[in-house]
Amino acid sequence: MFSKTKKKRDFHHLSPGWNFIFHAVALFFAVLCVFPFLFVVIISFTDEKTLATNGYRIFPEKWSLEAYRYVFQTGDMLLKSYGVTILVTVAGTLLSLVMISLYAYAVSRKSFAYRRFFSLFAIFTMLFNGGMIPTYIIVTQVLGLKDSLWALIWPLAMNAFYVMILRTFYMTSVPDAIIESGKIDGAGEFKIFYRLVLPLSLPGLATIGLFSTLGYWNDWFNALLYIDDPDKVPLQSMLMRIESSMAFIQQNSANSSISLEVLQNMPQDTARMAMVVLATVPIIFAYPFFQRYFVQGLTVGSVKE
Amino acid sequence: MAGSFFRNLIRNRAMLLMVLPGAVWFLFFSYMPLIGTIAAFKEYRFSRQGFWYSLTHSKNVGWDNFKYLFNTDAAYTITRNTLLYNIAFIFLGLVFSVALAIILSEIVNKRMAKLYQTGMFLPYFLSWVIVGYFAFSFLSMDRGLLNHTLESFGIDSIQWYNEPKYWPFILIFVSLWKSAGYNSVVYLASIMGIDKSLYEAAMIDGANKWQQIRNITLPLLKPIIIIMTLLAVGRIFYADFGLFYNVPRDSGTLYSVTNVIDTYVYRGLKTTGEIGMSTAAGLYQSVVGFILVMVSNFIVRKIDKDSALF
Amino acid sequence: MGKSTKSFGLLSAALLSFSLVLGGCGGGNGNGNAADSGGGSEKPVELIWYTIGTPQKDVDTVMEKVSEYTKEKINATVKMKMIDWGDYQQKMQVLVASGEPMDIIFTSAGGFDYVQNARKGAFLQIDDLLQKYGKGIIDTIDPAFLSGSKVDGHNYGIPANKELPQQDVWRFNKNLLDKYNLDISNVRSLESLEPLLKTIKEKEPNVTPFGLDKNHVPTVPYDFLITNMPMAVKLDTTDYKVVNILETDEMKKALRTMHKYYKAGYISPEAATVGSTNDLTKSGNWLVDRAQTQPLAENLWAAAYGYPVVSTPASDPIITNASVQGSIMAISANSEHPEKAMEFLNLLNTDPVLRNMVDSGIEGVHYEKIGENRIRNLEAAKNYDMPSYSLGNNMILYLNENDPDDKWEQFKAFNAKGVPSPILGFNFDSTKVATEMAAIQNVKEQYWSSLMTGTVDPDEYLPIAIEKFKAAGLDKVIAEAQAQLDAWVAENKK
Repeated sequence: MFSKTKKKRDFHHLSPGWNFIFHAVALFFAVLCVFPFLFVVIISFTDEKTLATNGYRIFPEKWSLEAYRYVFQTGDMLLKSYGVTILVTVAGTLLSLVMISLYAYAVSRKSFAYRRFFSLFAIFTMLFNGGMIPTYIIVTQVLGLKDSLWALIWPLAMNAFYVMILRTFYMTSVPDAIIESGKIDGAGEFKIFYRLVLPLSLPGLATIGLFSTLGYWNDWFNALLYIDDPDKVPLQSMLMRIESSMAFIQQNSANSSISLEVLQNMPQDTARMAMVVLATVPIIFAYPFFQRYFVQGLTVGSVKE
Repeated sequence: MAGSFFRNLIRNRAMLLMVLPGAVWFLFFSYMPLIGTIAAFKEYRFSRQGFWYSLTHSKNVGWDNFKYLFNTDAAYTITRNTLLYNIAFIFLGLVFSVALAIILSEIVNKRMAKLYQTGMFLPYFLSWVIVGYFAFSFLSMDRGLLNHTLESFGIDSIQWYNEPKYWPFILIFVSLWKSAGYNSVVYLASIMGIDKSLYEAAMIDGANKWQQIRNITLPLLKPIIIIMTLLAVGRIFYADFGLFYNVPRDSGTLYSVTNVIDTYVYRGLKTTGEIGMSTAAGLYQSVVGFILVMVSNFIVRKIDKDSALF
Repeated sequence: MGKSTKSFGLLSAALLSFSLVLGGCGGGNGNGNAADSGGGSEKPVELIWYTIGTPQKDVDTVMEKVSEYTKEKINATVKMKMIDWGDYQQKMQVLVASGEPMDIIFTSAGGFDYVQNARKGAFLQIDDLLQKYGKGIIDTIDPAFLSGSKVDGHNYGIPANKELPQQDVWRFNKNLLDKYNLDISNVRSLESLEPLLKTIKEKEPNVTPFGLDKNHVPTVPYDFLITNMPMAVKLDTTDYKVVNILETDEMKKALRTMHKYYKAGYISPEAATVGSTNDLTKSGNWLVDRAQTQPLAENLWAAAYGYPVVSTPASDPIITNASVQGSIMAISANSEHPEKAMEFLNLLNTDPVLRNMVDSGIEGVHYEKIGENRIRNLEAAKNYDMPSYSLGNNMILYLNENDPDDKWEQFKAFNAKGVPSPILGFNFDSTKVATEMAAIQNVKEQYWSSLMTGTVDPDEYLPIAIEKFKAAGLDKVIAEAQAQLDAWVAENKK
């Protein structure tokens, strides 16, 4: 690879010295980030008893598949929650992208008379929150979404933070000249948006798409509030339920009736780690998927100042 | 008067149509629930006729529900902690994420860069509960990795969960670790969108890498940096509950440096469960953040109109 | 192309409005409750029952069978909704606040708190209903349950008839006891544990002699007005004085002993931050800890842990508010059929057929009968594994395979031994001092665990903690509590 660049003298390449340092820094931080996760994986393959005796160890005394066996035992529950999570994530991200990109574009255009108003309209929602109960009432009573998958999709469809980020992307990566030329050609606003602006703002869209995907995948709170049907429980929600149930049992450890009956049926530490692994591994692939779009816009070169 | 209003509407109709779905969403999911903030001024009691009835018929208590946030010397501690930590997070987080983004964009081997990026994301997926366990395996008195390492160097073990002085560093470190990868994506995507011909031109003019970064990359990142910072300022009175509750394992001796507004509210209302008081806390945090954002935005507008939030 | 994008935007807007319309039509009161106001032979009433526990697969099928039975008996059907342990508190709060239709609610001290929510108006006052439709309950369950669970003089729920008093015991890992020939017959006070702890500490370096978690409070002869808060009343009090537990001699002595044990290494250095002693009990690396007992507890513990556990009393059995409020079934304030709900509760607490159906499922599917009162779980039992303590009168449950014949007699005997606490039935109302309570709660979280687990030196930290509590307003709270207690005593203890 280096021999090629020597010939072409790519202005963009770093000197080998700095490249090495950058590599080292990035590698160090990446390892720091990956290590705990690896640890989680290791714990999920540890034998429960040795975990209790020795605590968390990088090289466990005894390996075991018991945790995964326990999780897979739930059989179709696990599959269903995967299904729900994937469906909600994909549908939600698509919906989100449409709503957010339209809103952000409009608010990015200086020619939009109500630009400031709608920007504030969005930002205000980031700062003020009505609380769990009113939101619950709106979602279940006003919108009638109780126990429906839509209750997992709609509450996350818009996000003022993402709107502002995308707006900035539009403002910086889409030169006014492009829009002007579109107008001169007689195109309507929507056509300009779809034909000219979207291709240019791919990195921004990919960023928001990624964040949206992660947001949906990780959401457990909405399921806690709105979903009763066990067939509609997403992955993270299942995990969180177990976590909070464990916390509850611990807080009520004085009450002997509860502790014994329930503790016996609680998944052990290793099983919980196994669930974390199962819930996280698929979504790791989201990043490379979106990363593809972090490329420069396609038609920039066509603008001559 | 009315005529010009309607004419404006029609002229902007395409744009208005674009914001319509989002605006309706905000109306339902963000603005309508705001009615609940009335609870902050009430002694909220359930009623047979449902939420709205309970809100309007619960006893009015004025500002009483806010008192617990100001009355005590604990109030000073939690406010100070929340503010200082957030300022550190905003500032250090920014520097770190931008640096990371630049480093990743400059690495020659793009495939390795992609790998690093994917790895850096992982902390975002671990819940604070898990991170807490993990921290415990490091910081535990007798079984922690850190103490083992110290011992092997001949230094005495430290009872980490009893010593407040280390925790600001620990918490800042953990917070950066968890969010740097995620935040750097925004800056990375921005860098990717920069016109390569700018760098070409600079190279021809004889600029080296560092000058390029300083004069092209950073200035072009300015808009997004400003926006991200302004948005973070809006949340400056909110703390990440999971970080401050789970990582220090709710250890009482550390409260002087780990108790923030959100944890204080949680702990304070465990026995009484007064909905009015928790709503009051949320309102307080929102209003402060709102004022700060308005002020900072105003300042930014004075300097560079386009960089402002609104 | 542009047109399709335009319609995309319109579509989203339309979708939103559509859902709104749907919501308007379907939302609100679209619930199957037949409006049945007393008496006639019309449609059976559907009772909605919210209870705690991991939702079981077969809940609906079992409830169908239950409904068949109850339709015959009281013309009502039952729909049970289970909410998982960790979610219960939060979800119930939202459900109740939003006016969700429900009839019967599980509540307890600490799981959607009984007293708190009764005062907030979530539950119906059932004094009259009890007299009219709940005669069976009054006759069957221990009267201390009903009198002890009054809030401000009225009943708001039916406690489960199970173990009544609370009694602390010292539990011992029998394996270690046998190994070192340790005698526990003289063990009763905290101090008396010392020789045993010492032996184990010397001989077994890997074992934690005294297992504790952050919620531990040394046994002292006081009853607390609110669990884990410093306001307390002495058990043998005659003047009903409310004191700060940290200022009492008994607590000071106990804390000194705990600190002594901590310094000697009998207690894990991290006891103040550890949430439960689960790890210890799982691995067996402990000698003694303290727990609340009930009849036959030793068998349960041994079965759960996989090794024998013996126990000896650490305190006398006392009937406290907490012990009475461990499991209560309340009627929702917005219930449309409170009479039927009470009839159902009456049936549940007196009729073994119904009670066992709710508890164990359908005979022949989930369990089989192996004696007059005995059952054995079948394979399918794991699809309907219910927490018995939350579902009503335990003493009419069938016995399990390994239970002794006199299981419920033992419980009754245990209950009879219980001595009521002087403040049984008195529930402190902290509304007037809510601000101080919030501050006190934070002080408590800060200092409590490290003092109670012996992590810090009480001679140094007790004064500090007491000072902080004072600064947070504890004196005001105690004064308020005293005033309320005096009024209650005047009314009830004449």
